[in-house]
Amino acid sequence: MRGFFSKFWFGYKEYIIVVLLLVLSLSVLSLNSKPGIKKVKAFAFGGFAVFTSGLSKVVEPFSTAFEVKNLREENARLMLQVNSLREYGIQNEELRRQLALKDTSKYPLISAKVVSKFASASQGNFIINAGEGENIKIGMPVINSQGLLGVVTSVSKDYSIVRTLRNRELKFAVKNQRSRYDGVLEWNGKELTIKNVPKTYDMQVGDRIVTSDFSTKFPPSIPVGVVAGGNRDKTGIFNDIVVNPYADFLRVEHVFVIAFVPSVQKNNLELNLIKNN
Amino acid sequence: MRADYFIAILLMIPLTILQLTVIPFLSYNQIAPDLLLILLVYYTLKMGQMHGTILGFIFGLFFDLVSGGILGSAMFSKTLSGFLTGYFYNDNKVELNIHTFMFLFIVLVIGTVDSVTSSFFGSAETSSNIITLILMQGLFPAMYSSVLSLPMVIFHSRKIFA
Repeated sequence: MRGFFSKFWFGYKEYIIVVLLLVLSLSVLSLNSKPGIKKVKAFAFGGFAVFTSGLSKVVEPFSTAFEVKNLREENARLMLQVNSLREYGIQNEELRRQLALKDTSKYPLISAKVVSKFASASQGNFIINAGEGENIKIGMPVINSQGLLGVVTSVSKDYSIVRTLRNRELKFAVKNQRSRYDGVLEWNGKELTIKNVPKTYDMQVGDRIVTSDFSTKFPPSIPVGVVAGGNRDKTGIFNDIVVNPYADFLRVEHVFVIAFVPSVQKNNLELNLIKNN
Repeated sequence: MRADYFIAILLMIPLTILQLTVIPFLSYNQIAPDLLLILLVYYTLKMGQMHGTILGFIFGLFFDLVSGGILGSAMFSKTLSGFLTGYFYNDNKVELNIHTFMFLFIVLVIGTVDSVTSSFFGSAETSSNIITLILMQGLFPAMYSSVLSLPMVIFHSRKIFA
């Protein structure tokens, strides 16, 4: 019997090892949401981010030069827009006061720097150099001067993982700022799309897409992107609308975390509604 | 053999740092080279299939832990890559496989499998067809990795023929 097993091992050890390791990998894949695994990951990326942040300081001057040039151009454009928006802002403040609406644009911003990026077609994420020490919490939205970047998914003492819009796990409600129609935005591995939008909805190329009031993940009216087109299926009644994000995910260096924690109460109410239906 | 394991694991750390800091700047349209894959192919061709499989598992586990990605996706794809690279291993042709353009070909083939495998875990619902998936998320990143390993081959072939 022992001879049989030893013969079997020496004849097939490569296959036995690969099968064991692949099964182990698949088992770990299913455990990603377990709190224990999350803790191990937070400890590992927190420890390693110390090294990546060191190198990112060396790389920074090269990327910053490009960023500064872009920011100067953007600054000039924004300066022109600010004057006209200031006027609208005053009018808006007055109207909001009259309607007694809650202002969602006044959450504190926590500044942070990207120390590493995972350039993947489907699992886009960053590690930023702000963590529990800066009061960062899981679920907080992350933006830069261009628009929405993602959401904090894991926090260690000094670092946090940000799941970007270019990650299949992140889906959230958005709104067309002009026509006020809502939809759910997601990354399909290639582009950002609002799926299953009825053809009767008014969605035009160039329309601004912002976070929706219905979103439980983000405060409303954060710029997300512009409508770039639609995949028109002549036979169906729905379209998939393609959205070009404002933020340049590959070149982003400095980010802001919005100190907004998603409403647990609102989430629970929605879950109850789903259960009751 | 032990020294090779030790060196491979030691090299894995700086290459992971480069992969997470410098490589995103070299990527185009989410197409990025994979430095850990080049290292894995190199050491598997030097050490054999079983050691390559184990190294692939270690590389994948480490990368998943420190990159913040889905834990298990790189573990799976790198283990499979190490195992498949082992089929190119030949005790009598180690130099030929590592120091000639054959190395680029192996990186290209294994890189395609690695990228397609890891993209399956992240884009299970993707509407892209299989050809697009293999081309955009498999072959192009593999070609980039292959091109990036070119200096290594040129450097070594000069040393051999000098």
